[in-house]
Amino acid sequence: MLSTVLTYPVLAALTAVALPLLAFLLSAALGRRARSGSIAVASISLSLVAAAYVFGQVWNQESIRVQWEWFTVGSHRFLVGLTLDNLSAMMLLLVCVIAWPVHVYSVAYMKGDSGIHRYWAYLSLFCFAMLGLVIADNLLLMYIFWELVGFASYLLIGFWFTKESAVQANKKAFLVNRIGDLGFLIGIALVYSHLGTLDTEALTATPETFPATWHTVAGLAFFLGAMAKSAQFPLHVWLPDAMEGPTAVSSLIHAATMVAAGVFLLARIHPLFDGNTLMVIAVTGTVTALVAACFALTQYDIKKILAFSTISQLGFMMVGIGIGLFPVALFHLATHAFFKCLLFLCAGAVIHQMHHVAESQQHEIDPQDIRNMGGLRRHMPVTFATMLIASLALAGFPFTSGYLSKDALIVHTFEWAALQSGFAKVIPYLLLAVSALTSFYILRLLAKVFFGSFRVGLKDTSMLHEAPLSMRIPMVFLAACSLFPLFSMHPLNDGHVWLMQGLTTTVSSLPPLRLLHLAVPVLTTLATCVSAMMAWRWYVSSRYPLKTDSLPYRWSYNQGYLNPFYEWVIVRPLLRLSHFLFWMDLRIVDGIVNGLASLGRSLAAAASWMDMRIVDGLVRLSGKVAWWLGNLFRRLQTGRVQHYFTTVFLIILVILIYHIVVLL
Amino acid sequence: MTITALVFYVFATVAVGSALLLVTLRNIARALFLFFVVLFSVAGLYVFALADFVAITQILVYVGGVLVLMLFAFMLSNKELLHDLQLGTSQLFALPVWQSVLLAASLLTVLIYAALQLGNQEPGWVLAARDEGTVLSPADSNVQQLGLQFMTRYVLPFEVVSVLLMMALIGAAHLSRKEATP
Amino acid sequence: MIPLTHFLIVSACLFAIGLYAVLSRRNAIMVLVGIELMINASILNLVAFGRYDKTLYGGQVFALFAIVLAAAAVAVALAIILNVYKFYKSVNPEDINHLKD
Repeated sequence: MLSTVLTYPVLAALTAVALPLLAFLLSAALGRRARSGSIAVASISLSLVAAAYVFGQVWNQESIRVQWEWFTVGSHRFLVGLTLDNLSAMMLLLVCVIAWPVHVYSVAYMKGDSGIHRYWAYLSLFCFAMLGLVIADNLLLMYIFWELVGFASYLLIGFWFTKESAVQANKKAFLVNRIGDLGFLIGIALVYSHLGTLDTEALTATPETFPATWHTVAGLAFFLGAMAKSAQFPLHVWLPDAMEGPTAVSSLIHAATMVAAGVFLLARIHPLFDGNTLMVIAVTGTVTALVAACFALTQYDIKKILAFSTISQLGFMMVGIGIGLFPVALFHLATHAFFKCLLFLCAGAVIHQMHHVAESQQHEIDPQDIRNMGGLRRHMPVTFATMLIASLALAGFPFTSGYLSKDALIVHTFEWAALQSGFAKVIPYLLLAVSALTSFYILRLLAKVFFGSFRVGLKDTSMLHEAPLSMRIPMVFLAACSLFPLFSMHPLNDGHVWLMQGLTTTVSSLPPLRLLHLAVPVLTTLATCVSAMMAWRWYVSSRYPLKTDSLPYRWSYNQGYLNPFYEWVIVRPLLRLSHFLFWMDLRIVDGIVNGLASLGRSLAAAASWMDMRIVDGLVRLSGKVAWWLGNLFRRLQTGRVQHYFTTVFLIILVILIYHIVVLL
Repeated sequence: MTITALVFYVFATVAVGSALLLVTLRNIARALFLFFVVLFSVAGLYVFALADFVAITQILVYVGGVLVLMLFAFMLSNKELLHDLQLGTSQLFALPVWQSVLLAASLLTVLIYAALQLGNQEPGWVLAARDEGTVLSPADSNVQQLGLQFMTRYVLPFEVVSVLLMMALIGAAHLSRKEATP
Repeated sequence: MIPLTHFLIVSACLFAIGLYAVLSRRNAIMVLVGIELMINASILNLVAFGRYDKTLYGGQVFALFAIVLAAAAVAVALAIILNVYKFYKSVNPEDINHLKD
């Protein structure tokens, strides 16, 4: 329903969005005085309350739409407004629920940092942008918030801007996202030119007026945007580098919310996709999941492992979209948000402790290197427990929320593949393989960090202690949300998940295969157990059978050499082009200008010469002629009377002759 | 050729010849005496023009006054005043300067031409006078008429001329006074 | 009687000769003589034309005046020549060139 009436849910939604903006402005205005972060925490808490209210009012109720006049270009009228349906209410609540623990965690994590006032401002800006994105009702507004989210991400990745690697990372993130934004813009243009409106609701209504090729192109364009934002292969390269930012930022933005924006966009405009686009999405998602999981196997920076894990799980979500079941994808998005955020927060706690260790050592050790850690479960039990829960959720172990979502995804993929032909049939099997790899790498991480003995030689291990309370509380809260009760009463069956039931708008056309519901979980659990044993054997007992310098290992460790490839193929030619253009501007364009200037100068010189020689010359010439004539005539002035007489009579003679000759 | 014409030609020749000689001689005294001859001849020519009073006046004033004055001035002056330096080595004749000769000759040509033209086509007033008969004849008494004219029609110029003569007199006397020696 | 042209020709000759004397003689007195010759020539001219003016006697009257004026001119001219000689120490007109450029 279209209206401009400000009902309570609408007001609450607007408040939820506006509060972080106010917090941002206030923090920016206060500058260095806003060190305590209380403004940001207070605003997100209130936003959480408002979002919860909106969720309560809108979930499974009639959806609300409010619109206002925005601007008019010629005969085109643009409206701005918000839409509150199940999807946006869920996302609103999810973002607030994830952002709140991160804010609380940051109070302790970022304590003592010199730029903390900027941190709170940027964090609030990000929350504002993300919340605005999920309730926007037309594509243009969504694009605006999309860009803002990217910008906030840029600011936060480069938070420690004095570090060269951080500056490079945030530039990379922004540039790669720009490619995606281009796709988004092309999609907007195509939609507007063919459908005449940017309203997301209108998109669901009339996709038939789209000519087929443009339909596919528009879908692919939007998917390009989602690819960059949600780090799909090959535009995923920015996410591992984005780990330069603070860990709390990584947990909020690059695990739970911003990267999920791409999935959210695709869910929002899912009626726009035709079969070809969906196939492309599914394939890309699968490739991403597989490749990222392979890369994660050999990394030893704790945050990079988690980054690749995020990319892999985003691939899973894309597959969910690609098979046409966006509720499944969104369910996985929700569960992933919780346990991935938790994983990062735990990693942050560990890194925090490792910083203390690093400061006490004479030589530099990387606090994020898992080869320097070990046996921390004795010193940090709560961290260990929560991280274990999160890891099991990621691996899809029963009784966790992750089990439910991953299980649902893989089963439905099998059902979908049964209706497909050709290489699409392989996709579910690949997803199973990725699951196995997922279990392995996360348990490898657990083994290396929490088991065994501490690898850095320390005289006194008492400095390793548990994280402070304000870090533990968010972690425990998120751990609780990672278990099944939040999402379903039945721990092992995904048929009762209220989230998916709320989001499903159409009846699934995939024939259910009952057997899979048994086979798939059994297989994944088995894979998890086997991975656990292997991880124990290899990393805890240190019986590592593989060579670390073999080609697959190096390929995985160097992230498939994708970064050098981009550097050589794209970055360097572009730099050369820009140097060439600069040279052209300097030499040719400026050369023309300078040439014209010298032309003007030579013209001026010629004119000056002409003025000096010719014009002045004429003047001087006339003077000289007058002088010469005068000199000539002065000879008449001899002073002698007889000469004067002669002259007079000569003239008289001439006059007489004239009279005689001419007149007579 | 009547006697009148013959005599006229004699007088004319003498006048012109003396004038020519006058301007070529280097000796100034001789030149002045030749001038004397010229003046007398010209007076004779006046008679032929039926202007007898003018002729007599010429002799009286010009010869008796002007010429005598010039002779006196010349004779009673310094030696240097008598020098007439001319270019050339001739002792007797002053070598003619060709520009002046040319100019004089041209002017002569023009004037003679004009005179001849006048002979062909006399001015209107002359023809009218001839028609009306107001032409002087030898039987006329010029003096009486001149006297009448002087006292009636031309009385103003007459008086003015006398004033002029007085001015000339005073001026000449003043100009040639002796400076008071310091 | 004598035709008009004869008088005019004689007058022209005298005038030309007087002009020659004025222009070329190196003694101021000779220049004066030349001037007198020219005046005489012009008086002759006047008298010649005066024959045809019985009513007004203009020619002859003018001639008389001319004679008088010529006399006055000679007197003044001689006085001037005297003074010029006193100053320039020469009667050569060519030496009296202090007004030259």
